[in-house]
Amino acid sequence: MGETQTNLLQGTLDLLVLKSLALGELHGLGIARRIEQITRGTFLVKPGSLFPALHRMEEAGWLKAVWGESENNRKAKYYRLTKAGEKQLGAETEEWTRIATAMASALKAV
Amino acid sequence: MSIPSRIKSLICSLFRRPQLESQLDEELRAYVEMLIDEKVAAGASYAKARHEALIEVGGEAQVKQAVREGRPGMGLETLIQDVRFALRQLGKSPGFAVVAVLALSMGIGAASAIFSVIDAVLLRPLPFDHQERLVYPYMKSRHGGSTPSSVPTYLEERAQLKTFAAMAGYSTLDRINLEGPEGAVSLPAIKTTDNFFDVFGVAPMLGRGFLPGEDIPGKDFVAVLSYEVWQAQFGGRKDVVGQSVRLDGNPYTIVGVMPVGFRYPLSRRDAIYTPLHTPAMWRTQRGFHWMRTVGRMKEGVTLEQAQADISRVMADLGRAYPEQEEGHTAQLIPLAEEVNGFGADQNKRMEGPIRTLALAVMALLGIACVNVAGLLLARGVKREREMALRAAVGANRRRLIGQLLNESLVLAGAGLAGGLLLSWGLLKAMNVFLVAAMARGADVQLNWKVAAMAAGAALLTSVAASLAPALRLSGTDPNGALRAGAAGAGTGRGQHRLRSGFVVTQVALSLVLLMVSGLLLKHLQGLLKTDLGFDAKHTMATQIALSRGRYEGRDPLPAFYQPLLERVSRLKGVKAAGLIDMIPVAEWGSGYEVHITGQAAYPKNAAMGAETRLVSQGYFDAMGIQLDRGRLLTPSLDRPENASSKMVVNEAFRRKFFAAGGDPVGAHIDDADKLEGKSEIVGVATDIRQDLQSPPMPEMDWLVDAIQPKDRFDQMRNMFLIVRFDGDAKALAAMLGDAIRGVDASVPFRVAVTMDEVVSEQLTMERMEGWMFGIFAAFALLLAVIGLYGLVSHEVQLRTREIGIRMALGSTRGLVMRQVLQRVLVLLIGGTVVGWGLALAMTRVLASLVSMQAGRDFGLMAGVSAGMLAVGLLTSLGPARGAATVEPVQALRAE
Repeated sequence: MGETQTNLLQGTLDLLVLKSLALGELHGLGIARRIEQITRGTFLVKPGSLFPALHRMEEAGWLKAVWGESENNRKAKYYRLTKAGEKQLGAETEEWTRIATAMASALKAV
Repeated sequence: MSIPSRIKSLICSLFRRPQLESQLDEELRAYVEMLIDEKVAAGASYAKARHEALIEVGGEAQVKQAVREGRPGMGLETLIQDVRFALRQLGKSPGFAVVAVLALSMGIGAASAIFSVIDAVLLRPLPFDHQERLVYPYMKSRHGGSTPSSVPTYLEERAQLKTFAAMAGYSTLDRINLEGPEGAVSLPAIKTTDNFFDVFGVAPMLGRGFLPGEDIPGKDFVAVLSYEVWQAQFGGRKDVVGQSVRLDGNPYTIVGVMPVGFRYPLSRRDAIYTPLHTPAMWRTQRGFHWMRTVGRMKEGVTLEQAQADISRVMADLGRAYPEQEEGHTAQLIPLAEEVNGFGADQNKRMEGPIRTLALAVMALLGIACVNVAGLLLARGVKREREMALRAAVGANRRRLIGQLLNESLVLAGAGLAGGLLLSWGLLKAMNVFLVAAMARGADVQLNWKVAAMAAGAALLTSVAASLAPALRLSGTDPNGALRAGAAGAGTGRGQHRLRSGFVVTQVALSLVLLMVSGLLLKHLQGLLKTDLGFDAKHTMATQIALSRGRYEGRDPLPAFYQPLLERVSRLKGVKAAGLIDMIPVAEWGSGYEVHITGQAAYPKNAAMGAETRLVSQGYFDAMGIQLDRGRLLTPSLDRPENASSKMVVNEAFRRKFFAAGGDPVGAHIDDADKLEGKSEIVGVATDIRQDLQSPPMPEMDWLVDAIQPKDRFDQMRNMFLIVRFDGDAKALAAMLGDAIRGVDASVPFRVAVTMDEVVSEQLTMERMEGWMFGIFAAFALLLAVIGLYGLVSHEVQLRTREIGIRMALGSTRGLVMRQVLQRVLVLLIGGTVVGWGLALAMTRVLASLVSMQAGRDFGLMAGVSAGMLAVGLLTSLGPARGAATVEPVQALRAE
């Protein structure tokens, strides 16, 4: 699973978090679950990497956090994309696609 | 991240840290709870769900730390943490920490104290406008002696100079009596020509300076106050300008007040500036050289041009008035140099002493640096395993160096604090000396510049001291170090050589400091023991200044001095009392060239001058002067109506003018055309030192009673009352004040001091140097001893095993001890040799401070070296004995 991979590919986690929030706001556990879901279980993000990333991205101005209530009436911190975050998502998606295509063709070329 | 948001979040994380932390707590708690909810919903029991959830989160603390590290404020937090860690580490070895901080404090404290002095007296600009254009003409007579200008010469000079915007004359010889509401006070008077304030380009803060022509008698009853006098005597009232004030008994109009900080000369505080106000003779006689000058060059004029200009004028004057001015020269010295004691006046030269003190301070700083480096190295050996362990568990080299540097930064911080405290104390203690010894001594204080310098020194010292050990330690190969065993015994060799070098350096430098301070003390002792010609402990002097307005036109002898002497001689404890116009030991320079009637003409360039003094009959007895030949002066014989004045000369006079033999008594000097008008020597008496630091000068004493009564006021306005006494000096001083006030309350009484105090006041600079070097040398010795002790005890510690083996193989305790001491002796002797070399090599540099001659001072230097050796050996006795008490069995088992 993901721990080594996330470390390996710097920026992967950021992109996944941004992507997971593209459809709407989520709390921490929600983001972890959403990433698990959209990567079909390949990436299991643990709090040890998730929260530093969230706080870092919040401070970078990509995310905005508000306190709200969860489905089970628990107080939770919800994150959503800011304008800058959306822009960042777009840019990173493009960059990632470019790298992925390049890597794929490189690996096929042998 | 953009810069503003970076700053914002930095501020947030710094100031909202508690809030952020609690939010993070809450967020994590919510996460865990939701995770539990999820698992419970999936069918697990609450306990199991909770257990699994906590494992999944994997340690709340780690998560939080990871988040914190992501924050921009993190750098600071890490720093605080590291500092805390460093403090903890240092706390574990308090002995090391205390010694290191002490060493740094001493080095930094001494350095900042001396730097404060240098800053105040050398670096800070003068409180004048365009100081680079201000010059002080140093006037020399044809014999090379300092000779001020006469008024007529000055006036011609002023008219003929082309390169000067202003050239002012002034005199600081006088004091002036200000009759204030609380009695009379005597203040230094700066008597100046009308253009005095134009020179400095500083406008008065209130009123005006002197107007052109205001130095002409009749118009000259105007005064400008210094800021200090304005504050102290007039309460800082704005309406003083235009007011009338009694100075020396005459009404003067205050026309201005100078701003704070303006002083000229810079050594004169609490001064009043007035026009010249001199006796007519002082203004008209061309041969009467008494007025100093100071000038401002025109804009764009170089010092060389101005020098050429003034040399031309002096040469012209010399041709015009060969008798009074021939051979007189003026050397222009930038005022800043003159003020700071870098001028041509050898008596006031400060450059050498300050430079030498700066060197001493550098030496001390170097010793401190080397000392701390030695300590850190020793500590490093003990920590080799710790470092190896850190490296083994993954700390990188940068982090290790960082940690070591952190520790040294903490040391630097503590050293800085200690150093500033120490330098504050040093300056406070030095204050008295500084004010007396240097023109701007009173301005010396700690300021931000000094603090910055000290911080720089602290940083540099401790980083330099820790760099070598840090680099070495961080490069430790964990494998080797961990295997090498307990104390890293195998790694010691190379660095022991380094530490030995450190010890040798310290011993050498402190030996030089010790030698210099020893020489200074010896020199000072010599001066203090100088045969002054009188008993300084039981002689007291006080200055008397009569107010012009009250005594002009009167004969002060019957009006003031005789009643005073009568009163004083009746006081308890007074053995004799007399008057003289210049105080022995401290004042000299009033005299002229003489020629003994009947002797062959002296060579033209021979300095055949003699000092002149006016004395009362009681003076000889008051100073305990012995008569060698002839008679002393007495009012019954030496009367104003006599055609020929009678004088008593001293032994130095006889030696100089009657070197070939012949009886001075009955001889005349050529001060009149006809023999019956010439002054005659009637007696020869013992020498009294005029200048503490030079041999007795030829002197001629005249009796005040023989002066024409009409001239007496001008000549006796300022006199010194000299009293020989036994008993309590303090009580007598108070009684003298009462006596003076009893005769005339308008005569200010300042202080009466014993001649002993006058002597020590003359030695201010010498005392300060001796004192400073003494302190520095003591610091240095202490540090060197600490360094030596540290090295020896550490070495013994490292070699416990070796010693154990030796003893197991039959070595005795005596042998072990001898071996340790032998090594110490080698280090000490090495340091001594280097120290001697240094001292001898620096003889020339030190010469400005104290003359060192290997031959003459060999005893002292050898003594100091022996003392140093003894102290060093004594210090190492402790650790050496420790080595000797090693139990072989235990030493071997301990490994």
